[in-house]
Amino acid sequence: MTQSVSRRALLAVPALVLALAGTGAVVEAAEPIRIGAILSTTGPGAGAGIPQRNGLQLAVKLVNEKGGINGRQVQLIMEDDGSSPDVAVTKANNLIFSQKVQAIIGPTLTASTLAVGGVADPGKIPVMAFTGLGVAMEKTRRCVFHMLPSQDLNARALLEVATKGLGAKKLGVLHDSAYGNIVMTKIREVSPDYPVEIVAVEKWEVGATDATTQAAKVKAASPDAVAVIGNSATPFRNARQIRMTMPLLSGIGTATYEYVKAMGDAADNIVFAEFLVAEDPLPGQSAFVEAFHKEYGVLPKTMEASAWDAFNAVAAGLAKVGPEAQPGALCEAIRGPFDGAMARFDFSQEDLTGLTLKSYVFSKLDKGKFVRLPFKAGS
Amino acid sequence: MLPNKTSLAPPGIAGELPAQRLRTTRPSAAALSVLALAAGLYLILPLVLERHAVDLLVFCGLYAIAGAGVGFLLGQGGIVNLGQAAFYGIGGYASAYCSARLGWPTPAGIAIGIALSLAIAALIGRPILRLSGYFLALATLALGIICTNIYFEADFITGGTLGVPGVPKLAIGGFVFDTPEKFYYLVWPIAFATILAMHNLMGSRVGLALQAMRDAPDAAMVMAIDNARLKLWIFMLSSGLGALSGSLFAHYVGFVNVDSFGVDKSIMFLLVPVIGGASVPAGAIIGALFIGLVPELLSALGDIHRVLFGLALVASVVFFPDGLWGLGRSLTGLVRRRSGAAARGETTP
Repeated sequence: MTQSVSRRALLAVPALVLALAGTGAVVEAAEPIRIGAILSTTGPGAGAGIPQRNGLQLAVKLVNEKGGINGRQVQLIMEDDGSSPDVAVTKANNLIFSQKVQAIIGPTLTASTLAVGGVADPGKIPVMAFTGLGVAMEKTRRCVFHMLPSQDLNARALLEVATKGLGAKKLGVLHDSAYGNIVMTKIREVSPDYPVEIVAVEKWEVGATDATTQAAKVKAASPDAVAVIGNSATPFRNARQIRMTMPLLSGIGTATYEYVKAMGDAADNIVFAEFLVAEDPLPGQSAFVEAFHKEYGVLPKTMEASAWDAFNAVAAGLAKVGPEAQPGALCEAIRGPFDGAMARFDFSQEDLTGLTLKSYVFSKLDKGKFVRLPFKAGS
Repeated sequence: MLPNKTSLAPPGIAGELPAQRLRTTRPSAAALSVLALAAGLYLILPLVLERHAVDLLVFCGLYAIAGAGVGFLLGQGGIVNLGQAAFYGIGGYASAYCSARLGWPTPAGIAIGIALSLAIAALIGRPILRLSGYFLALATLALGIICTNIYFEADFITGGTLGVPGVPKLAIGGFVFDTPEKFYYLVWPIAFATILAMHNLMGSRVGLALQAMRDAPDAAMVMAIDNARLKLWIFMLSSGLGALSGSLFAHYVGFVNVDSFGVDKSIMFLLVPVIGGASVPAGAIIGALFIGLVPELLSALGDIHRVLFGLALVASVVFFPDGLWGLGRSLTGLVRRRSGAAARGETTP
């Protein structure tokens, strides 16, 4: 009995080895390249996170349809950080150390990016963040790249279009206490370079349901144009309710169809410093706009385009160095110029994005419709 | 500690009977073996789990420390604290500012965070602890909201929305707690020690005075228990634990930002004892594991995970009003009764 069992066991060992070797080989050939994503698809950041997810999923789908990267399919592992940096760190730990991803697309929010960078950068895993450079300390990180301009550049773009595009001499600013506060700090820093006087600055608290008082104070200073910076449609409505008729200026965050809907009748005579006007795309953007419209039946904006670019930049890097490259090689491969649908990037620049004032596209809401302006900044 | 006034309480009536009960209850062999099993499980978990799971457990440990403070207030003092994130934030920012900006050694930041929290709790506690019930809960909620706004505005310390990155890892001697596994062995012993200390405190004269204050405040006053001072002490204890947890959080994640110290975090810390059970300090462990692990398990189900987590919370509060700890206790009680009945040869009808 025992003998026959042991003999059978002895026979089983080589069979098992063969079987394992066989499956091993099969698995290796079909093993997909794993790419992680940390997006804020729930919570306050979802307004940006959900469009990013759409752009990202489309990019992955099209790359896989064309045969993948160097013949290997891409497996996207999507995580939601619920707009919390704590959760983002946990998700990054999971993606890097358990799922062994090659790169991370996201996070959506600045705080999450700073937090995730602390985990991914020492591990030499590229992070393609949908934020601008947050703090100077990030410049020391070698594997974190930014898909959106720094707040310094956003501030300059607003001042460029206000002074050169609209000819404003007196500028009012309405901003929120979070993101808007950061941009406002930068506007104060760079405004001496522009022939403009900041005549009124008012702040509303994040989540506030009314900013009429603040809008009235800005109106009282009779500015030529008013920058409205923050992630809420409310101040735009409030400004129009109290008959502020001068042009309003805003940034990427509010240049979406959802915000236009939420603004209602107020969605008129608002100028955006953004990157994509899908109704009238630039030559390098039309292929993406067409693909997106075909897939989803709606037009994309900057967030969708940036996610598309983030994935394609990683895919280009992977195609260059191969999926089995040494840790850090992929970061090196990404660190260079990349022609995207959103803009032309140069990830080797000091701000880890390489966007310039020339990268911006300016649009104007005309009765709820985005119209691309001929104005170019930085010239 | 407690003023000698408590000695005025008639001995043997309110004072000693429950204490004797606590002291004389020796853990059974079964309980001891369960404890040994749990300890063994605790020690080997990081060796068998993948890093992501250990990382989640570290967060659970942090929640257990801060949640134990809230639980002690709730279970022993009958005080609903909706402002724990304020102290969690004080600890987090003190550690981040002192170590990342000023370059001070890490223990200095932790100590400053705790000291600051205790001082603020002592200052604010006096007036707000005169309130009770809903009003006290609302006052703590207001405290949390005010502090969140201060964290937003005082960006010269807190970094505002951008936060403070680059907080160094904790190190003791030359040993750096730079991985989830290492931190796991730091944070959980602190949580266990906290809970053990609370358990001992409950059996002490202070604990008995607390019970009296919670269940019959007027009677307690008659027995010369200084209710206001007791409330203040446990409020300070809770705030100190919040700050300690916040400091550990800052050193673990390496980054602090106002998003981590909002009202939602306060609610989470209150949920720790509510879910786990507030009657015993150890409920905080169960509650923290629930709060830390369940959302992660549910997140595999897509965007609906937040709704499902809300439903899970409602379900656990409705079906287990004494918390999961209470559920466990009634189950073991049931088993014990059954087995006792079986041993006596009785049959259940």
